[in-house]
Amino acid sequence: MRMQPAAETDKLQHEDLAAKWALWAGVGYIVFFGVLGLIASVKFLVPDLFNGVNWLSWPRIRPVHVQGMIFGWALPVFMAMFYYMVPRLCGTKLWNEKLGIITTLVWSTGVALMVLGVLNPMDTTSPWWSTKGKEYEEWPVVSSIFLIVAWVMLTVNIWSTFVRRTYKQMYVALWYVMGCLMWTSFVYVIGNWPSQLFPANSFMGLNDANVNWFYGHSVVGLIATPAALATAYYFLPKSANAPLYSHKLSLIGFWTLGSIYIWNGAHHMIYGPIPYWLQTVATIFSFLLFVPVLSAVTNFFGTVRGEWHQLRSNVPLKFIVAGTVFYLLVSTQGSFQALRSLNAVTHFTDWVIGHSHMAMFGFVTFYAFAGCYYAVPRMYKRPLYSEGMADWHFWLSFVGFILFSTALWIGGFNQGIEWNNPNLTFISTVNDMKPFWHVRAGGAALMVIGLFIFAWNLFKTATAPTITPGTDGGDGIDELDNSSRTPSSLLSRV
Amino acid sequence: MLVFVIPILFLVLVGILLLILKQVPEKSAILTGLGIGMTFIIGLTFTMLIPSFNENWSQNTAKDASRYHAIYLRSDVEKADRDGTVPPLYKGDTNVEFGKLVGYTAQQERGRRVYQREGCMYCHSQQIRPLKGEIARYSIGTSVVPVADEREYIWDQPHFLGTRRIGPDLSREGGKYSDDWHYSHFYYPRQMVNGSIMPAFTWLFDDTDKSNPVPNKDARDLVSYVQTLGFYRKVYDQSLNGGKGGWRPWLKPQDQQYTQNIGEGQVLRIDPKINDGKGALIRGGDQLSPTNKVPPGGTL
Repeated sequence: MRMQPAAETDKLQHEDLAAKWALWAGVGYIVFFGVLGLIASVKFLVPDLFNGVNWLSWPRIRPVHVQGMIFGWALPVFMAMFYYMVPRLCGTKLWNEKLGIITTLVWSTGVALMVLGVLNPMDTTSPWWSTKGKEYEEWPVVSSIFLIVAWVMLTVNIWSTFVRRTYKQMYVALWYVMGCLMWTSFVYVIGNWPSQLFPANSFMGLNDANVNWFYGHSVVGLIATPAALATAYYFLPKSANAPLYSHKLSLIGFWTLGSIYIWNGAHHMIYGPIPYWLQTVATIFSFLLFVPVLSAVTNFFGTVRGEWHQLRSNVPLKFIVAGTVFYLLVSTQGSFQALRSLNAVTHFTDWVIGHSHMAMFGFVTFYAFAGCYYAVPRMYKRPLYSEGMADWHFWLSFVGFILFSTALWIGGFNQGIEWNNPNLTFISTVNDMKPFWHVRAGGAALMVIGLFIFAWNLFKTATAPTITPGTDGGDGIDELDNSSRTPSSLLSRV
Repeated sequence: MLVFVIPILFLVLVGILLLILKQVPEKSAILTGLGIGMTFIIGLTFTMLIPSFNENWSQNTAKDASRYHAIYLRSDVEKADRDGTVPPLYKGDTNVEFGKLVGYTAQQERGRRVYQREGCMYCHSQQIRPLKGEIARYSIGTSVVPVADEREYIWDQPHFLGTRRIGPDLSREGGKYSDDWHYSHFYYPRQMVNGSIMPAFTWLFDDTDKSNPVPNKDARDLVSYVQTLGFYRKVYDQSLNGGKGGWRPWLKPQDQQYTQNIGEGQVLRIDPKINDGKGALIRGGDQLSPTNKVPPGGTL
């Protein structure tokens, strides 16, 4: 439904300044946190690596790697995608580019403070400056404040753009952007509530654990997933140049995602000391997750239908299709892991590490890569520096990740079985994991090499000699730049 | 009941939502609705209606199914501690003795902060699940390990339940080894357990004299906390009180195997280059005797 004549919206020139700043924050952080993750994987093989350096001990690197990948890489790069696609989907300019730049600066400062506080070279135990000691909730209070302020700024910016929209119809990517903005605000505040500072009325023991895992699961389900799906819902039809398969199906996915995901936290403590009924509810809702997952996956594959030949040359499409396959696999795996019989074996093992990397790397990060490869040439109005390097990046990531996770799944399952044999000492089950940890470190190295190629490719794209202005439609880029397309063009085959 | 009520309420909500969106005639909507119903039934079947799926590993499920959970604030816990009572966490669970609740001393609380700062919970869980293999693994000698209980954690803020066992579970670690064993292990884990991949926490020691590292305050606090883990957990023993039965700490004195004294406040230090773990005074690891099996019926 067009509210504005096409001629008027065609004149829109998007500056994308905010998007560029957020993008570079994300790209810088993924290289940094990727290297940290590689160090962590090597420490399994060489535990004396950096011996005596307190801030490089494994248990301090590990949470920084996890939190950094979610809040240092994924959210900034998705912010960049939001800044890029929301104005284009709303048919208006971003409300305030400067506010967007400040948002990125505040956010990056918060992430840097988190790195400092959790690596903790000063060995403090103050909850203001050091880790809060719960998985996914490590954020020192000071860094949390920066993140919350930045998120409010982002929300104001995106919503102000949104209310000024000239297209009346809301494309599904906008729904997911709105969902991500709303859900993140309450999930993050609940999860990172500094209960240590208010001990008299704080949750104790298992209540604390329940809140922890409500948050821990929602970080993936209600923060990263809607952001990634918003990106895919925009960039898949764009990069495949094909309309979305079914808009209504995608909305069903949206509402079921919002209502099902929050119930899943307790499946991280199956057979644990939490109430039995709560575990069962979590298991059932884990199975219900098939609904939003299948609605998204059906939609994506339906969209690519008839366009498979593009996979040979179209790098963003390649990443999105691989990411969709991983999304389907990781969700299927997650549902079955929540079953008591399987959880009894796989819980506490490296199986889960392989699973969580499939979610954050195979699914979320692949979508973000696709968004970058599609959006960056259009932000800078230059062709991508090297399609070949992008292809190398894809294959290094893909093969590296397959090695990484398959080794952990086989080794982890084996270790779970061995733990059930009391005649084996614990240390012998650790020794049996070591070959798998070698393969994992090798896969991780491939993934990190891919990251360097990715960052270099984007950097060279951004710093290439400027193409002369006034070339709308003249340089082969703007021919593909659909910034003037209405949302309805995403929905029907023209 | 809640197990059934919540998903049914959820289905009703989805139905209303579908009606509001006027998407019911849409083919995809009908398929999605069917999908919701089918996945619900599958989940329910796997988790509840096929108990044999769980019997394979689980100690018991029937008793646990009646559990409910109350929200406890620190003030409630402190009141119960003053009154010498244990808050009933199980419905109708009046005949279970647990021992007096013991909070943490200031030193142990500081030790928890060190545990938190060093990230011990990323590699060590603090929960024994009610699974046969797990009970057998963490039992020592003839002391059968009790599974995790909600009440053990009510003093914990933050909780250290953990989700990963790169190293073994620690919830029953208290009293198992001597303080000196722990100091030696923290200083250089591979001198106590051959093949261990635990980091060496050398910054918890004053090791200007490499041949004689001395644990600093952080290390002493940490070990004082580690020694509380599961130490106050009691189990029912029929043989006590002349056959009438009674409650005792779960770890029998004769099963505290690793109590050799290395030297007050000192750390056993062997050059890692020439030591492959065999040179240590004490070998670590969870050594289990062949008699250490779950008793018939799996009672605790």
